[in-house]
Amino acid sequence: MKKEYVITLCDGPTCMRNRSKELESVIQQELQRHDLQEERVRIMLSGCLGMCSKGPVMIINPGYTIYGKVAEKDIPEIIQQHILKNQPVARLAIQEDHLYNRFFRIFGDVKFFGKQMRIALRNCGIIDPEKIDDYLSVRGYEALAKVLTEITPQEVIGVVKKSGLRGRGGAGFPTGLKWELTAKEQSDEKFVICNADEGDPGAFMDRSTIEGDPHTVLEGMCIGGYAIGAKKGIIYIRAEYPLAIDRIKKAIAAAYENGFLGANILDSNFSFDIEIRLGAGAFVCGEETALIHSIEGSRGMPRPRPPYPSVAGLFGKPTLINNVETWANIPVIILDGADWFSSIGTEKSKGTKVFALAGKINNTGLVEVPMGTTLREMIYDIGEGIPNGKKFKAVQTGGPSGGCLSEEYLDTPIDYESLAKVGSIMGSGGMIVIDEDSCMVNMAKFFLEFTQNESCGKCTPCREGTKRMLEILTRISAGKGVPADLDKLERLGTMIKKASLCGLGQSAPNPVLSTLKNFRDEYEEHILKKHCRAHVCKQLFNYEIVDKCVGCGACKKVCPTEAISGELKQQHVITQSKCIQCGNCFKACKFEAIKKV
Amino acid sequence: MVTPLQKIRKKRAEAINRIISKGYLSSKRVYVGMATCEIAAGSKEVMQVFQEAKAAGLTDVYLSQKGCAGRCNLEPTVEVVEEGKIPVKYGKINADRAKEIIEKHIKKGQVIQEWVIK
Repeated sequence: MKKEYVITLCDGPTCMRNRSKELESVIQQELQRHDLQEERVRIMLSGCLGMCSKGPVMIINPGYTIYGKVAEKDIPEIIQQHILKNQPVARLAIQEDHLYNRFFRIFGDVKFFGKQMRIALRNCGIIDPEKIDDYLSVRGYEALAKVLTEITPQEVIGVVKKSGLRGRGGAGFPTGLKWELTAKEQSDEKFVICNADEGDPGAFMDRSTIEGDPHTVLEGMCIGGYAIGAKKGIIYIRAEYPLAIDRIKKAIAAAYENGFLGANILDSNFSFDIEIRLGAGAFVCGEETALIHSIEGSRGMPRPRPPYPSVAGLFGKPTLINNVETWANIPVIILDGADWFSSIGTEKSKGTKVFALAGKINNTGLVEVPMGTTLREMIYDIGEGIPNGKKFKAVQTGGPSGGCLSEEYLDTPIDYESLAKVGSIMGSGGMIVIDEDSCMVNMAKFFLEFTQNESCGKCTPCREGTKRMLEILTRISAGKGVPADLDKLERLGTMIKKASLCGLGQSAPNPVLSTLKNFRDEYEEHILKKHCRAHVCKQLFNYEIVDKCVGCGACKKVCPTEAISGELKQQHVITQSKCIQCGNCFKACKFEAIKKV
Repeated sequence: MVTPLQKIRKKRAEAINRIISKGYLSSKRVYVGMATCEIAAGSKEVMQVFQEAKAAGLTDVYLSQKGCAGRCNLEPTVEVVEEGKIPVKYGKINADRAKEIIEKHIKKGQVIQEWVIK
């Protein structure tokens, strides 16, 4: 069997500018000239490969030879030598070793993965998370050793600031600045906290990171502790993640055993301990002050800020609190450098972001893309579109606190500012794709139900306001809405956003407000025409039997209220006054003779 | 004085040696996804098939678990990595398919294209 090759061309913005697209057609021609079929040589277009200064970049696998500054005239030689004779062209090859390359070596030829850039998730799926040896073999704990050897705490903060990294938990606060503020405080004791209280419905970024590569989180926390002068770290993780807890515990034990935690780490003067605190799964505990209360043993409720945790956090001591994904980025920033890291992403949002891509999409999964990737690329290139030929309706970013964006916003680049500008948020990384079969009113109701349930009740706007909003939404979806309801929803939502104490309340109305803005016609249909176009709101449509009916009687048998009547082999009818919209008949009919109207 | 950086290099070299001594340089390396999501999709049974095959005398194969690579709807996933070849990534593998991978791919080098994630 002849050897197979995959040629990956970088399709990132910088390489595109350097004509990587033109290269593709030259390669195609050259392959045709040598009669090389697709089974032998595949051409892939990747997302940014992080080697922008050397673009256009081309990678040939197997062997992972990277060619930089490729010109059209080099192509014949590369095909002739590398593909036909299996001799990489040393003259054109460049040596670029980034931590994320390891993932790309194995998964880069799959379109779903090739378009991604894995920094936080660089080791997820390629190493055994339960073996510290595996982590060490991919330069694990080298960043920690590097800072302990040659970088002062002050300089570490400088590096993180320069990298432009921003908090990945949702708010996007500059990480370096947070570190600096905490380092500045004078105190006998300081704390470092890893926020692994992931609670968005449909989000699993933190769980996957911890389950796939727990040591990177520990290493990031150690570096954070060194930078701000803390000796103690706490991982706050929800008890609902038993495997993640098990793996992080094993990782902590292995790190102690190998001298990466405990007294005098790697024989330096720096000592650091990490322990685990389990959360009971309250959504509000992802908010930093509520999380701190929960660790202290109090009820998980937020408190007004300032003082911020950087000044008075856990037990009143200065506390540095970052999200799992933020911590996972730290070792890469130290080893690959702040300059490299800040070359990825957009002007104000650097690096990559992990998303849990879910909902009505062909490729569901965990996706890490450079900031600035558009929603369209995310949904149609990586996610490969909507299944069953259905139409795209909306994408919900940022979990229950985010907004629903309609088709016209698909070209929005994914970064903190751009998403905020169009009325959604980056959030911690939930991304739910919604197709035409979903009702936006019902969607908004679902998310509001969640936040309303999770509201801790401390402040009135959130406690009472979300409840009232939910009542209105329930009314609308039951066909009892009145036109004034929309104004009421808007007024309430805006007020809750302004007056709530913490992020939960401040963002809870987002799904409602954004759907009101982008899908107002659906709300109006519900209220004025008592019609739900997606046939989701039960009270707003009827089941009817059409002439496709062969009279088999299957529907009649499953109807719990005996609403269906008809003779065998003759078209049946539904008595609407008896029908409770359970949908049993719809599911039972094999002839598509029951319609929702 | 030995610096932490020097120490970590030594530790890494030792770690790599340990991994190699466990058979990392075998002609094929098999990785089975074992995150919560993969296990829920049935990867434990898949792992068991490979473990049993090794116990029953399958040699020259390095077997390891891995975290979630993020291909939710195709789980459980299994990778067969061979030096000098494009790593093969299989999706939706169950115990029966794992047995077939062992028979065809691992033993005879025939990639089962139908299950390959592209």
